[in-house]
Amino acid sequence: MNLLRAARLVAEKDLRVEWRTKEIVTTSALFAALVVFIASLAFYLDPAHGRQIAPGVLFVAAAFSGVLALGRAFAKEREFDALTGLRMSPIPRAAIYLGKVAASFLLLAVIDLGLLAMTALFFHLEPGLGLLHVLAFLLLSTAGFVSAGCLFGALTVTTKARDLVLSVVLFPLLAPAILAGVVGSREALEGAPLAELGSWYGLLALFFATFLSGGLWLFEILTEE
Amino acid sequence: MPIDFDRVEAIGLSKTYGATRALRGFDHVFHSGVITHVEGPNGSGKSSLLSLLALVATPTRGTLRFGDHGPRARDAIRARVGFVSHAPMLYPDLTARENLRLFAALYGIADPEGAIATFVERLGGGAHLDRPARTYSRGQLQRLAIGRALLASPRLLLLDEPTTGLDDEGVARLRRILEEERARGAIVVLVTHDRGFAESVAQETLCLRRGKLERAA
Repeated sequence: MNLLRAARLVAEKDLRVEWRTKEIVTTSALFAALVVFIASLAFYLDPAHGRQIAPGVLFVAAAFSGVLALGRAFAKEREFDALTGLRMSPIPRAAIYLGKVAASFLLLAVIDLGLLAMTALFFHLEPGLGLLHVLAFLLLSTAGFVSAGCLFGALTVTTKARDLVLSVVLFPLLAPAILAGVVGSREALEGAPLAELGSWYGLLALFFATFLSGGLWLFEILTEE
Repeated sequence: MPIDFDRVEAIGLSKTYGATRALRGFDHVFHSGVITHVEGPNGSGKSSLLSLLALVATPTRGTLRFGDHGPRARDAIRARVGFVSHAPMLYPDLTARENLRLFAALYGIADPEGAIATFVERLGGGAHLDRPARTYSRGQLQRLAIGRALLASPRLLLLDEPTTGLDDEGVARLRRILEEERARGAIVVLVTHDRGFAESVAQETLCLRRGKLERAA
């Protein structure tokens, strides 16, 4: 079976499980919303300061809730040892990785949309091109996040420290993507033109491409017993 | 590309987990149409042997030959391997039917509904197919796990304590299925502490002690 068809089967399975349980989106979205709400109470002064602070709050909330979501996604693979069932199937191991990246991205993208709306509301961000750039930065950052997270998330299935491993390994790796997203979003909200934002888009795209290609190559090695 | 084989040869197979040597220099040829019972005390390497044969784990030393094919052809070999492990290897939030459909699709089975009908015919449980696997009893889950392993008519069928949780009727069905699989020409490797069941189905017995093959009969 080819890589893309097998990956689609894995992604459909993850989305079907989530549609039935609503566990990942509900818990992660609630957690992210709480982070944004508390941060708005703690840091918001006026719209000018809001534009400076909001991107940081948004990306930190997205990263924290993302780790929570990926932890739950791989916990479901751990239960009943389902991941071994997938690994035994006659499909490329990279398809398991790619399917999980696709499903996790779609789930986190839904959370991102709600999170951005909530951040815009609490930090008084005006609708417009700047906010669209923030959404694009957030989605690109999420794509990089899940491509790194699904690679190391598989480790949580085989190690005892589990979710702790994911956080400890993932956050240092994610720092460049979070910083690029925050700075790019801040500049976009201040009205910077696309030409000035290009380097931040490029950095996030490079981060995504690096981890996606690394994941496709390394997933089999990392999940080997 | 589908492949076939009529024997599985383990050559000097060893597996080490950290400081634990689970399997040490295991040599044996498993033949088509033979049910092999692997016995031994807890921790003697039986489950490790099955994981290696299932290509879930990689040997620390030694190699496996599946007929004329080496482990490099592992994706094609995996299509011909069915494995019942300690865990059911299913998704608890999917129904039994959805689980079977998923694995049928992953194994490239052209007629998944036909495969599900065969599962019901051989193992029963048709009335519970649309219930999430999470709501299944241990015995029902075991039947489902056996059904998943049989979906693709495996050439190599690996069973680790397959009678766990099964009632008398389930054990009788399993005995019948193993006879059918043997007659079909499957290579069956059975790990169980249920000696009565093993003696009723197996043609060959291997005894493992501390990771080494002590005797074959």
